[in-house]
Amino acid sequence: MNKPNYNYAIVFYDVGEKRVAKIFKICKQYLKHYQKSVFRGHITPGNYLELKGKLKKAIDPDHDFVTFIQTISESSFHEESIGNTGVNPESIII
Amino acid sequence: MGKSSDTRYIFSTGDLYQKDFSIVFRKEDGNFYLPIKDTRELYCFNEITLSTKLLQLLAKVGIVVHFFGYYENYIGTFYPKEQLLSGRLTVAQALAYEQNRLKIAGPIVKGIAKNIHFVLYHYYRHGKSELKDYLDWLRKDVSRLADAVGDIKQLLRIEGEIWARFYQTFRLILPESFAMNKRVKRPPDNPINALISFGNTLLYTKTITEIYHTHLNQTISFLHEPAERRFSLSLDLSEVFKPVLVYKTIFDCVNNRKITVEKHFDKKLNYALLNEIGRKTFIEAFEERLNQTFEHQTLKRRCSYKQAIRLDGYKLIKHILEGKNFVPFCMEDKK
Repeated sequence: MNKPNYNYAIVFYDVGEKRVAKIFKICKQYLKHYQKSVFRGHITPGNYLELKGKLKKAIDPDHDFVTFIQTISESSFHEESIGNTGVNPESIII
Repeated sequence: MGKSSDTRYIFSTGDLYQKDFSIVFRKEDGNFYLPIKDTRELYCFNEITLSTKLLQLLAKVGIVVHFFGYYENYIGTFYPKEQLLSGRLTVAQALAYEQNRLKIAGPIVKGIAKNIHFVLYHYYRHGKSELKDYLDWLRKDVSRLADAVGDIKQLLRIEGEIWARFYQTFRLILPESFAMNKRVKRPPDNPINALISFGNTLLYTKTITEIYHTHLNQTISFLHEPAERRFSLSLDLSEVFKPVLVYKTIFDCVNNRKITVEKHFDKKLNYALLNEIGRKTFIEAFEERLNQTFEHQTLKRRCSYKQAIRLDGYKLIKHILEGKNFVPFCMEDKK
């Protein structure tokens, strides 16, 4: 069996105040800013490795915590939201 | 759930600039971050300020930007320096133009006929029996006629007839308010012409971006005359996709009342121009169709229609360099 080809990722981070901006800077190059400390979006496996490597270098492994969730595509999970997002960062029309 | 797309359409006014090796769009109600690694194309429909610093970054990563004027007219494309250059292919492409233009142009015309047949057959099956003559003509005669032609002018005549007869069928499948007498361009004079023009422009620019990611030369075309000052190869390659991408989107929007004459067209201009809501609705439907996937029969995997455009570019390269028969995308064979 081949490993599934993950092309979509959700990243949550919980990092010290000093490093928040740093992590934000790295993430926004690859993914769309979805919630305060959540990024998500389409990402190729190669770019995913790149992103993971960059974040690994930027965090302090003793205090910070970053989670990556990978799925095959955005249609492979169900999602529900309540409340108001303001501007939708994922819309194709700005 | 957000639809994944690597294209952004900018309709608000604002500044587009680069920050931290990524793109930011600053508008009145805040900053909008565009991930550089997941952006391939930008469409600018409004007054937008750009800096050369941003263009530098866009050129580096190969993001193409298309600009449109106030009346949805296509102004031009920011086309980053070619990264995929191949002198060998350019020479071969020019030679192919000189020596066997018909071998590439012919299949394109046949491809148009096949794809129109595919689109209209759906309506025929659902009781529009008046379509039969045209469908038979598309299926049986076009390919024979296209094979028999001796020069490009005769071929273009066949292509013209295919489209003209296609427009005639609109009165059967579209509501009366969208009826069309004649295809009119520059500027379009009624709602349906406006939709077609807008859709074709979108497809044309999409194709430019896809060709940018191949080694092909954008100015050497086969069916259309390689005119100066425009990327005519993109006109060639987009032709077979028009029925499946542009016209199916139009039929979908109009017949399901997503776009209506009263609500989505500019009254001041005799309904001959989409208004902003109309444009957005159309773009959304069009993007959705582009990103839809199908099971590709040669590749044996799923592939989106947008990728299919680029695959057609690769097919053309194969034909030019290796002499493999060029068969453009066909909806029926799914390849």
